[in-house]
Amino acid sequence: MEKRRGAVRRHAAPLATLAGAALVAGAAHTCELPGAGRVLESARYTLAYRTIPRTLAVGEHFQVELAVCAKGADVPDREHRVAASAQMPEHRHGMNYAPSVRALGGGRYRSEGWLFHMPGRWEFVFEVGGERLTDSVRLE
Amino acid sequence: MIRRLPIATRSALAACGAAFALAAAGAVAQTLAFSDAELRAILRHGPWPAPWSLDPSNRVSGNAHAIALGERLFFEPRLSPSGTVLCATCHVPYLGWQDGQAVASGLEQVTRNTQSVLNVRYNRWFGWGGAGDSLWAQSLRPILDAREMGGSAAHAAALVRGDAQYACDYEKAFSAPPPRDDEALLVGVGKALAAFQETLLSGRSAFDDFRDALARGERAAQARYPLAAQRGLRLFVGKGACNLCHLGPNFSNGEFHDVGIPFFVAGGGVDPGRHEGIRRLQASPFNLLGRYNDEGGEGERGGGAAARASAIKTRHVALEHRNFGEFRVPSLRNVARTVPFMHNGSLATLADVVRHYSELNLERLHADGESVLKPLKLSAQESADLVAFLESLSERASALAPRQPPAPCNQVLRKP
Repeated sequence: MEKRRGAVRRHAAPLATLAGAALVAGAAHTCELPGAGRVLESARYTLAYRTIPRTLAVGEHFQVELAVCAKGADVPDREHRVAASAQMPEHRHGMNYAPSVRALGGGRYRSEGWLFHMPGRWEFVFEVGGERLTDSVRLE
Repeated sequence: MIRRLPIATRSALAACGAAFALAAAGAVAQTLAFSDAELRAILRHGPWPAPWSLDPSNRVSGNAHAIALGERLFFEPRLSPSGTVLCATCHVPYLGWQDGQAVASGLEQVTRNTQSVLNVRYNRWFGWGGAGDSLWAQSLRPILDAREMGGSAAHAAALVRGDAQYACDYEKAFSAPPPRDDEALLVGVGKALAAFQETLLSGRSAFDDFRDALARGERAAQARYPLAAQRGLRLFVGKGACNLCHLGPNFSNGEFHDVGIPFFVAGGGVDPGRHEGIRRLQASPFNLLGRYNDEGGEGERGGGAAARASAIKTRHVALEHRNFGEFRVPSLRNVARTVPFMHNGSLATLADVVRHYSELNLERLHADGESVLKPLKLSAQESADLVAFLESLSERASALAPRQPPAPCNQVLRKP
């Protein structure tokens, strides 16, 4: 596990970062996206995401829609930054593109510039307020 | 209408049918039993030709008049002020639209191998380093390169404006006379050249017939594909994992990798590959973030870079240290007809290429920790099979119509 974390730091493509304070919704915000999405948890945040289009293909650009919710009201909003990227842990490389993340308001974000250029297992890497949330998808 | 055949003829046909059935039964034994995973991987290399859509950044993409104009310009030596170098100097139709040389020579010799322009419309990036993000922008590069055609915007503009046929063809293609601005007219030349090159497709190969027969479950048709090629295909999608990068119907993921070919160039220096490509792309006035992207409207009326889907790749491409020494993954269609190989033309035969990957020197990789490539350690039989598969990707016959002489242009010219 530690080895994989190290690999992340060394080889992931530069994370797309929303400069400045990202507005993360408070605890009352329901962390959902219209339609089905994946929900990830960290100590202080819940993050829901879905890809557009939902079914990914190797070599095709896609977007990611995000909803980020703080679990407690004591999380200071101005410290939050949302960043997103992806890597192939087994190959030890990231994407050739650095996705951008744009705040839509209400804890929602739109990220574009994604492209998975190889078949195999890709790991989404989201960073919110210094916490790291990951999820995997396998492309044929 | 069904005609009743004489009894003797029917008997003969029945005998032929029986013979064919026997042949087919025998042929079934000549098809490898591919696993479900192998079948899925193989089917992803087709169908061919693959779907394609017009280039939104080029308003004359698919325009018949622009295609005709682009074809004339492609074979036009006057695009070079010397009158001696044309696009077809390096992209020779009867040599698979490349030149058969290790590295290209225009006015001078350069450091990279000429890539074929067959199937170029499927590319995401153009050139070995991907310095072009559109086919029209890439088409301008050799015109302006002092070592290749040595041209300029002013020279290209003067040619089109000063030649009645070109000026007339241009107006037909763009529904406007050649503009007064030299650079804008040069871009028009690039867009017409791109419209022509988008029509250059390779024909179907023995592999395509086999792949489609697999998709349809036609075992007799499958058996016509040589066993050596089938074994090579199994290696390609299996032990070799070649399809990690050479994927899809065009056998390329359109991206960049370091495969251990030395990037030192003759006379000293290095070829930085993708690293330099991204830097040149970002500095180019002709990239898709610029004023000449037609998406959403013509030229500067294109609606702004943020609104253009065609520019997403350019806006988000990441420049990293590992890009140094990476080169674009070439298509493998017609690969046997595009000797020599690799970005510097340093490998003379397909057997040399297979040997390179079989005996890969990991010390040469500038992989920055990446662990995709490993020496394949192929046996002599496996190497021969892989070559047989690669040779089966050659078109059986050209898909291109014979060239026609240009039709005279009679359009009445308006003043710009």
